[in-house]
Amino acid sequence: MISAGKLKSVLSVFLFAAVIFSFWLWALLKPDDAYSNSERRGLAQFPTLSFSTLMSGEFMDQFEDYSLDQFPIRDTFRTIKAKTAYSILRMKDNNGIYFDKNGYVSKLDYPVKEPMLQYAADKFSYIYENYLQGMNIYFSIVPDKNYFMDGLKPDYDDIVDYMLKRTEYMTYIDIFGQLDLSCYYKTDTHWRQEKLIPVADKILTEMGAEPTGDFTENILPLPFYGVYKGQSALDLEPDTITYLTNDDINSAEVTSYNTGAPLPGVVYNMDKASGLDPYEMFLSGGDPLIVIENPNAETDRELIVFRDSFGSSIAPLFIGSYKTVTLVDIRYMPSSALDSFIDFSNQDVLFLYSTLLLNSSLGLR
Amino acid sequence: MLFSSISFLYHFLPVVIVVYLIAPRFLKNTVLLLSSLVFYYWGEPKYTLLMITSIALGYFGGIIIEKSKKHSALWLGVFVSANLCLLGYFKYMDFFISTVNSVLKTDLPLLQIALPVGISFYTFQSLSYLVDVHRGTVPAQKNPIDLGAYIAMFPQLVAGPIVRYSDIAVQLKSRTHSLDMFSRGVGSFASGLAKKVLVANLLGELVSKCTDASAQSVLGFWLYAVSYTLQIYFDFSGYSDMAIGLGRIFGFEFMENFNYPYISRSITEFWRRWHISLGSWFRDYVYIPLGGNRVKPFRHILNIIAVWALTGMWHGASGVFILWGLYFAALLILEKFFLLKYLKKSKILSHVYVLLLVTMGFVIFNAKNLPDALNTFGGMAGAGGIPLVSAESLYYLRSYCVIILVAIIASTPAPKLIYKKLCKNSAVNALMSVAEPAVQVIILIISTSYLVDGSFNPFLYFRF
Repeated sequence: MISAGKLKSVLSVFLFAAVIFSFWLWALLKPDDAYSNSERRGLAQFPTLSFSTLMSGEFMDQFEDYSLDQFPIRDTFRTIKAKTAYSILRMKDNNGIYFDKNGYVSKLDYPVKEPMLQYAADKFSYIYENYLQGMNIYFSIVPDKNYFMDGLKPDYDDIVDYMLKRTEYMTYIDIFGQLDLSCYYKTDTHWRQEKLIPVADKILTEMGAEPTGDFTENILPLPFYGVYKGQSALDLEPDTITYLTNDDINSAEVTSYNTGAPLPGVVYNMDKASGLDPYEMFLSGGDPLIVIENPNAETDRELIVFRDSFGSSIAPLFIGSYKTVTLVDIRYMPSSALDSFIDFSNQDVLFLYSTLLLNSSLGLR
Repeated sequence: MLFSSISFLYHFLPVVIVVYLIAPRFLKNTVLLLSSLVFYYWGEPKYTLLMITSIALGYFGGIIIEKSKKHSALWLGVFVSANLCLLGYFKYMDFFISTVNSVLKTDLPLLQIALPVGISFYTFQSLSYLVDVHRGTVPAQKNPIDLGAYIAMFPQLVAGPIVRYSDIAVQLKSRTHSLDMFSRGVGSFASGLAKKVLVANLLGELVSKCTDASAQSVLGFWLYAVSYTLQIYFDFSGYSDMAIGLGRIFGFEFMENFNYPYISRSITEFWRRWHISLGSWFRDYVYIPLGGNRVKPFRHILNIIAVWALTGMWHGASGVFILWGLYFAALLILEKFFLLKYLKKSKILSHVYVLLLVTMGFVIFNAKNLPDALNTFGGMAGAGGIPLVSAESLYYLRSYCVIILVAIIASTPAPKLIYKKLCKNSAVNALMSVAEPAVQVIILIISTSYLVDGSFNPFLYFRF
């Protein structure tokens, strides 16, 4: 009979060899993946092998990234790590992703980064000084859902105070009181459109426009796994997207300038709804410039909204109160080129930005 | 290349093991040397020639020192100087220039030389070999492959332990490869991997978070100091364990480099348990040749100061490391002439004393400069009216409390003692023969998951 010591040696060597050799072979034979759906990013590909890349060390550096990105069953390993961190090590977050007791997932956005706030304030000032003087300008800050969750969070009063001191040319519309945690998706960064009517009414009323009217709620018949599903690497319950319609929204004419030239668009893009990021169904996601005309409008008032992705889902609620709503995303177009596309005259102007973007604003151009 | 990397674990290691196992006995050292050069080239392509130069200096130095019996000391001086020149140029030249600039108020340009990984480790191995040949402790190695395999051997190439040639000369020539040794190697490697990836890296994250904290607090400073003290132990001892484990896989027995240093009851004892291979190197090649403790007290003190200034400098080319070495020199002198007898009286106080002073030592070790270290000490003492806690420090404490607790327990021999006690029961022992390999493979899988997710993975001792 085999002794305990011998059995331990055999098992130890066998299991160790089985793991390293099987994953080595698997990694060698497995076709490389181009994209990670869960992480929503392209994966590193096999680096260029040449004398110069070998001599410079570039090949080795890139191979390290490649070996990580192309490791077999990478997502399963990410799940093992997440479960170890949360369940065994009892860590509050894993890669900054944390959970609320109600099942809400979010990413820590800490601390307040004043240089980022300053950068955003400088961009807004540039736009004001070059295009908006004499116009009615409003500013609203969207708290990200960390504000309502029990994690490590920045001092939101500091963010608001910092921005308001540097944007005195705008009228601030405080929407913090119109929101709570239920206004956000559990698995995504963004807010839920069907919960935004009080927010839209507050903004519209303070801008002197008509508040929103009635809407019909439509439920997207697809599960919505937000950005935190992939980032958390855990098996989360999906959210449901509900989108609002009424006559004004249904008859709105959308023009997108995503490619620079005007192209017809839609308020709710059902192709995007079944894509990788269903939140992009709202005005088709990232777009430098979108113009929404309301042929049913009983007013000549126009609105320009400088916005981030939070603006995509609330903008449809503004359509009924204006003749034209223009959405500008200066992450995708330079501020210096705005007057090539927009005729600034006497429109209402709303700067609507989330704390997430303000605290990480280098993408503003 | 790090041992704790996917490229090493799942690309380099399997290939090397296969080639090594199928190579005939007379080619095994060649496989080791070539794979070691590839390993080094992977991380330091431009310095591989330096490594080969170091091997050549060791090889020819050993033979010449042995052959020229009359001038053996002279040739030892020549080859030791050559090795030290390489180390001095690549590691200390910029430190020397900036010191000259600050003392003489000159403006000499720095050379901006990147530090070759592991140069302090393999240079010290070469030096010990040359001295041992000169002393006649070992014969010069006539086979350049064998000597190259010793100096460049990848398991201990970049971070030790500093293996003496005399300790593995016989193993280089003929060593046994057995299932039991391979299995013990796997055990040490898995234990080191867990220490490095699952403990040290997580503590390293905490250290970074505390360093970058936006709100200072006393708790934050203590979290920083304690977690860094634990991180450096698990980081370095983890790497040493992996090196020892790999050595066993390839048939070598390296000396243990750590022996639960944080259970020490004096700083003197601490340094017998911490980085043992470096401590014994300095003892045998510097301290004893200087006269050790068999000299007058004043000279003895000077010897201690010299050894610890050098130990500090070995760790890095900066004033902070010299200060760190002198800090321990001062403590060791105090203990030798005064404190040691009092420390023996109270078990608890002596442990508190060691942990406090070692923690302070590592605060100095990780500081950018003296004011930086003093700022941390001030923060730990609550100077400047900073609050006791902040929301941030409390969050980090709650988030990392399990890993800190695990680290504290694992830095004592308690888990090992419990395991040994349990194994005295034959049923438990039989169970462990299955459970232990299972735990090893679970560690490997979980560590892989942390590596695949691209977590924080620095290695502190690579800079030495």
